Amino acid sequence: MAVSEKVMPSISARPSFWLRLRDALAPLLASKVALVGLALVLFWVLVAIFAPFLTPYSPREQDADAMNLGPSAGHPLGTDHLGRDLWSRLVYGSRLILVLAPLSVLCSLAVGTTLGLLAGYFGGLIDEVVMRLLDAMMAFPAVLLYLIIIAAVGASATNVVIAITIAGAPGIARLVRSLTMDIRTRDYIAAAQLRGESPFYIMWVEILPNARGPIIVDAMLRVGYAVFAIGTLGFLGLGLPPPAPDWGSMVCAGRRYIWSNPWAVLWPSLAISSLVVGLNLFADGLREETMRYQ
Amino acid sequence: MERKQHKWIPELQEQLRQGKMSRREFLRYATLLGMSLTAAEALAACAPKATPTSPPATPTATSVPPTPTPAGPQRGGTLRIRGNVGRIDHPARYSWVANSNTTRHVAEYLTLTDENNITRPYLLERWEASDDLKTWTLYLRKGIKWNNGDDFVADDVVFTMKDWLDPDVGSSILGLMSYLQPTNIEKVDDYTVRLHLDSPQIAVPEHLFHYPAQIMNHRTFEGDFIKAPVGTGPFTLEEYSEGERVVLKRRADYWQMGADGQPLPYLDEIIYVDLGGEASAHIAAIQTGEVDVISEPDTEHFLALKDDPNLQVVGTPTAMTRVLRMRVDKEPWTDNRVRMALKLCQDHEKILKLAHFGEGLPGADFHVAPIHPEYCERAVPKYDPERAKALLAEAGYSEGLTVECAVCSDWADVVAYAEILKEDAAPAGFNIVLNTMPTSAYWDIWTECDLGITPWTHRPLGTMVLTLAYICDDEGKPVPWNETRWCDEEFTNLLKEAEGTLDVEERRKIMCKLEEIQYERGSVGIPYWRNVWSIAHKKVQDFKGHPTQYDLFNEVWLKA
Repeated sequence: MAVSEKVMPSISARPSFWLRLRDALAPLLASKVALVGLALVLFWVLVAIFAPFLTPYSPREQDADAMNLGPSAGHPLGTDHLGRDLWSRLVYGSRLILVLAPLSVLCSLAVGTTLGLLAGYFGGLIDEVVMRLLDAMMAFPAVLLYLIIIAAVGASATNVVIAITIAGAPGIARLVRSLTMDIRTRDYIAAAQLRGESPFYIMWVEILPNARGPIIVDAMLRVGYAVFAIGTLGFLGLGLPPPAPDWGSMVCAGRRYIWSNPWAVLWPSLAISSLVVGLNLFADGLREETMRYQ
Repeated sequence: MERKQHKWIPELQEQLRQGKMSRREFLRYATLLGMSLTAAEALAACAPKATPTSPPATPTATSVPPTPTPAGPQRGGTLRIRGNVGRIDHPARYSWVANSNTTRHVAEYLTLTDENNITRPYLLERWEASDDLKTWTLYLRKGIKWNNGDDFVADDVVFTMKDWLDPDVGSSILGLMSYLQPTNIEKVDDYTVRLHLDSPQIAVPEHLFHYPAQIMNHRTFEGDFIKAPVGTGPFTLEEYSEGERVVLKRRADYWQMGADGQPLPYLDEIIYVDLGGEASAHIAAIQTGEVDVISEPDTEHFLALKDDPNLQVVGTPTAMTRVLRMRVDKEPWTDNRVRMALKLCQDHEKILKLAHFGEGLPGADFHVAPIHPEYCERAVPKYDPERAKALLAEAGYSEGLTVECAVCSDWADVVAYAEILKEDAAPAGFNIVLNTMPTSAYWDIWTECDLGITPWTHRPLGTMVLTLAYICDDEGKPVPWNETRWCDEEFTNLLKEAEGTLDVEERRKIMCKLEEIQYERGSVGIPYWRNVWSIAHKKVQDFKGHPTQYDLFNEVWLKA
């Protein structure tokens, strides 16, 4: 009882969890576009979570007597060139992509935010050096940058994350820098400086939380790009090494048999596009709604 | 009749008579030793089969070219071919087969290796080899005219050969014929050339058909064939637009005669069209009739067109393969038990079926193909994960073993092979991590990686690859292309013996031992031997495949 007495006041002091959740979701629920996007994304999230219950096959189980088949009762989406069930590969592939894409965006957020805060807050020489270096990197087309990085370090899940981190960080840094330069002039920053707070406290505790809105929307869009990037790398044979059920690699492998078995290309392509479209719609809807309130 | 037979010919004939040698092998070796094909065929016919014990699985060559149509070939028409029209200058510098295909019907070769692996004289009338195989005398066919009216003479051959062996020209023949010095090419008379080799070599006639070995006219050729397209072939070069097309026109006075007694070729015109690298463009072009032939078709073409009722898809078995190579100087592959364990994890038939659509022959983990003349038949090893597991345990890896395998992701059948091996080797305790990379990256490391899958191309003789890849020099150092660093003294010595042995039965006996050694303690797994394909419209008649995908259209004709 003592415990509950201690907890109760803290809950009553603030709006309940569900109320806060409703407030947070309000802009989202108001946007039909965002809801459609959310539904698409949630579909794949649920598929990824419940993967083992959704298919009797392992994504790597080969069947030499059932290669390149179309949809049937035994294999709802058909099989690929090694007789592997396409549905089970899609299902397990969603696990990979839904871990790797957000993870790589988180990593590029960490790197980009740090650089952007430093450049924006200190300005001067630091700003010049950091931003010119990042500009130089942004001069490369993203795909070329992925190719260079993967070709240099080799293809693996970690390296895919590293490549997307490196390619994505400059854009985030640029965004964060401009937000920082704006917020830096506010009175509460001057107050914090007067209090004698350290620059890092000011950057991470005063500036960053106040810049979070655009960063979150940008990050949502970036997850979509990351899904696309991982798909592209897989298609170019630079993604996750086989036999990982990477969607892009599935398209790449299936492309060879497209004349006899178009299903092996169709399904993973649909999966990639539905997830990317879902993420983009979600981010767009979110942005529209947050803009409206501003 | 033959002027002077090689001393081995009667011996070969005796072997054929006793059934120790197939008819096809007799033709091969007899023609290699300088006998004309017709004479060899006549001799072969004189040697009735004594026993029916030795028929090989391979089909025997027919003595007369089959004439499928009673009406005989029709003349006229234009054959359109999708090809690669790249930049070319000096034929000796050709670096891929496509270069030679577009000019193959203008300039010609001294010899010709046909689709059955038989090498016969072509611009040569015949050749003779000395008993020690170190002196080769080439007799040129008389009466052949270049398409500018010049006579084809020994000076042309000597001139062209000196270019091959000139380091400044930079021909790949320089390495292939390293047994020959430019100073040792002797012009005996206007129609005879003698080669004095540094070391015995039986494959000289085959080397003369290597694709950069087109013979040039010594009076006109100045290093660029497009500028002076003078050749002995049945067509003349009318147009060569790099990246676009090549137009070849029939010449009237070609030296070979057709079935109707008139000079070849039957076709009026050959046009090579460059449709870019994308297979779907080629597939659409042959389906709509824009082209009649796809030169050098790939797997994608085969898959898309194999069931098309208007097309003929001809499969030709080759000695082209994908080699699972293990570096014997790196752990854990130093231990033969580990190597054998991995080899036992291959289900050869399944790999062939899934990775190459069953189009080929299963391999048996030694690098000699059933189509090689000296092939010694051995059973395909069974998939045996239990024995593999036991071998791994014996070698001290009872807990299993994680290994990394270098795989080029641009070669789809290599990737499929690797994926199948990974799954099938798991029960034995292997955890194979596939390390994928683009083509250029793989060719950077192909001799260096511990475990990898390397494509090896077709070569007409079994001994040729073994010499390139599985021996060490006198100091015990692996030869440059020995990617697995496997040195086996007994193997090296036996191989040298095989290369100098003409007696087929003896040679095959040595080959049996070589195959046994390579299987039992070697460093490679051979999953399968690939077929290559040739694809043409059904109206294209007398259309044949070739293991090296050479276009040979002298006798091709079009049915109206």
